[in-house]
Amino acid sequence: MFRKIAYYIPLCMIIFINIIGYAFLAFKEETNNMHAFLVCFLVLAMVFISYVVITKKKFGESYLFLIVSMLLSIGIMMIYRLNSDLAVKQVIWMFVGNVAFFACYYFYIKINKWHKYTNLYIAVPVLLYILTLVFGTTVNGAKNWIIIAGFSFQLSEINKILYVFFLGTYFKNQDKLFFQKSNFSEKNKILINRGLLMFITYLNAGFLVLQRDWGTIALLLLVYLFILYIFSEDNRFLILNCGLLFPTALIGYKFFYHVRVRVEIWIDPWQDVLGKGYQIVQSLFGIGSGGFFGTGLGMGKPYMIPFASTDFIFSAICEEMGTLTGVAVVLLYMLLCYRAFKIALNIKNRFEKIVVLGLALMLGMQTFIIIGGVIKLIPLTGTTLPFVSYGGSSLVTSFIILGILQAISKGDFSNEGEKYG
Amino acid sequence: MDENKKIIKILVVMCSIFFIIVAYLTYLQVFQGKKLMENVYNRRNNEIEENTLRGSIFDRNGVVLAYSEKNGESYERIYPYGALYSHVIGYNSKIYGKSLLEANYNGDLLDLDNYSQVFGMIYRESKGNNIYLTLDHRLQELGENLLKDKKGAIVAIDPKKGEVLALVSKPNFDTNSKWLEGNWVSIVESDKALLLPRATQGLYPPGSIFKVITSMGAIENGLDKKTYEDKGKVIIDGYEIKNSGEKVLGNIDIKKALAASSNVVYSEIGVELGGSKLKRLADRIGMNQDISFDIPVNKSIFPYDTMGKNDMAAVAIGQGEILFTPFHMAMITAGIANNGKIMKPILVKSVVSSEEKKIKDVRSNTMYKIMDVETANVIKDMMHEAVENGTGVNAKIEGISVAGKTGTAENHLSEKNKGKEHAWFIGFAPVEDPKIAVAVLVENGGSGGGVSAPIAKEIISEYLQNILKH
Repeated sequence: MFRKIAYYIPLCMIIFINIIGYAFLAFKEETNNMHAFLVCFLVLAMVFISYVVITKKKFGESYLFLIVSMLLSIGIMMIYRLNSDLAVKQVIWMFVGNVAFFACYYFYIKINKWHKYTNLYIAVPVLLYILTLVFGTTVNGAKNWIIIAGFSFQLSEINKILYVFFLGTYFKNQDKLFFQKSNFSEKNKILINRGLLMFITYLNAGFLVLQRDWGTIALLLLVYLFILYIFSEDNRFLILNCGLLFPTALIGYKFFYHVRVRVEIWIDPWQDVLGKGYQIVQSLFGIGSGGFFGTGLGMGKPYMIPFASTDFIFSAICEEMGTLTGVAVVLLYMLLCYRAFKIALNIKNRFEKIVVLGLALMLGMQTFIIIGGVIKLIPLTGTTLPFVSYGGSSLVTSFIILGILQAISKGDFSNEGEKYG
Repeated sequence: MDENKKIIKILVVMCSIFFIIVAYLTYLQVFQGKKLMENVYNRRNNEIEENTLRGSIFDRNGVVLAYSEKNGESYERIYPYGALYSHVIGYNSKIYGKSLLEANYNGDLLDLDNYSQVFGMIYRESKGNNIYLTLDHRLQELGENLLKDKKGAIVAIDPKKGEVLALVSKPNFDTNSKWLEGNWVSIVESDKALLLPRATQGLYPPGSIFKVITSMGAIENGLDKKTYEDKGKVIIDGYEIKNSGEKVLGNIDIKKALAASSNVVYSEIGVELGGSKLKRLADRIGMNQDISFDIPVNKSIFPYDTMGKNDMAAVAIGQGEILFTPFHMAMITAGIANNGKIMKPILVKSVVSSEEKKIKDVRSNTMYKIMDVETANVIKDMMHEAVENGTGVNAKIEGISVAGKTGTAENHLSEKNKGKEHAWFIGFAPVEDPKIAVAVLVENGGSGGGVSAPIAKEIISEYLQNILKH
């Protein structure tokens, strides 16, 4: 009996939050009541069905999905409050995301040879970057959108996952991935391998520089360094890479006006309140005006924050639901990271271990970069808040990551690990 | 496993960065939240302002100095006395923003705290808080009439409580939006510096009124027992310093020297005290320091790092490169009157909600002590003498003992034309039990004793003989 209640408590919390939130929104005269309840019903139905499938079919780790559902609920609620049409679209994306989640789960386990496609993990991102550069459109300062038939995609989102996979294959055969059959000396082989690892990392970063996507660059480099710290057996290589970070940052600061402006605005946004500092100052106004308890859903003015439903959604949440809800959101991400790390700790196979860690770090660092940015803790770089921000490619990518995490949490890759490791 | 240990370390790093976010958010909310919410650039307030009756501002006796009235869809700010309070209350314009009290007390006037917004749904039309000032409208109006078309400032303070009784800056301008918005360009471009609140932000060389502060140092170092020989002029470090009109005063002590405003004696005292003592004196009275007040006050300036003998002589008689705001001078005068203790200056006495509930009630407290009682008594006596038998004789009032000091400060205009000096007077009364301290400055007005002392006299006698009696 108790176990049954414990099983439903997290689900009940999600249902409770959704019903209260949308009831609140429905009472606002301007919005369409039926829409509110429809969105609420669809969100809850998807959460409920997916959760039942995950637990009944024994998909492994069940908390990941619950944490994500809570984040999604808060996000869609906020998006609905800002623009109900966007929320309906987001619900559709959520459906696509859920499908992607189950598909990834299924295919990841089914294929089970993911550590063998090294060339793919190198070639596909390069192809996608070139596609973006050729056909891309600039939105909010970053040229990383592709618009096809009215739908816009951000291909660099997929590249982040592929890069983590590449790191996985590299460290599975640490320093032995390339040129194994050539007749270089052992020492040179290691040097060449490491050189290629760095080359591919900086190639990714270089393409992102061309797209002006500073947030993703920071994300990739951080994940790279963390993985290096954990799995590289050679400390000198690690120190070299950490050391390279400073000249890289310095070059970025010196040669790219965008980077300089962002740092200057981070230091003092008040010098140009109505110009360059506008976004961050508006975001701070939102947070400050909400106080700890918020103005109440639908009673603040989060629409005054630019990009309130995408990059700045955290500020909008803080304004209307209060800083305490903001803190809760941060803690949810922390829990998500913790659960993912826990999965990683129990895996013996190196490839899967790195993939789980890399993806968890991606999610965690992305959260830190965007939340830290909008609260002026660090310079602002535009990325989405995973699972919360409006945006199809971001949401679907996040669900793909979740599907992979879920698959690895369920799958038993240890035997295979012995064979190759 | 070594890797797993490292993974746990990274997990700790990840958790810490999330906690840093939480800590920073809390910091932001606790220490900056209110400021951010009330920030002038926060457009949320414009919308609130449309639906809020902005609070009124009253003088100490309940005379309305500013109020809002519904004009069609929105509220209009009305200042019944036009220009009289432009450098105290400031303006509140939809186009040009807010200044002075209207800006600094915007949160109180609109009642913008965290809770009013939560209940904002229930009370769509809300009312802001009213503000009571320490100013006395009668004294303020008198000051305005006394200065008329002159440029200058009058500051009157209750020395025991630190309450500001009058704060006049001239020239001033009508702050009612209709006039303000119609004449903004000419206000900004005016060569009279209309937007400058001279009393609190104008910086002037103090001239001879600084001798009062030099006296502080002299008394503390026992120089008040000494006799000086005044030959009408003296040469210090190659520079000649003359008395006004090269008057020869003969063998005199410091009391007579202050009464007659002897430049010769005080420049010698300055050299005797030396640079470091003068500098410490300047620090003690609050030069180069921010003064916390309800509206912005400029720092008085003491720019010297090292001083030559001629600098010491010049500073001791209030020339050289030192600059004061009239407001700071009034505070120092009040400090002398209050036996050496400067009270924290108060302009806003209380904030009262629309339901007549007191939200803020400011009490007087000591800001800093500039000298001990004995020194203060000697200086009071000396300043009394200056009004009884010295340069400040124009401030004398029948039946009231007044203490004061005149100043005629040279400036770049007066170097060419005589009579363009800044005319200063500081004083307080009654000497036995000071109830009002005054600083008067008339920019390029001429002699302090001739121009400013009579103005101070009018203010003091109006306050003591009419206002306090009724």
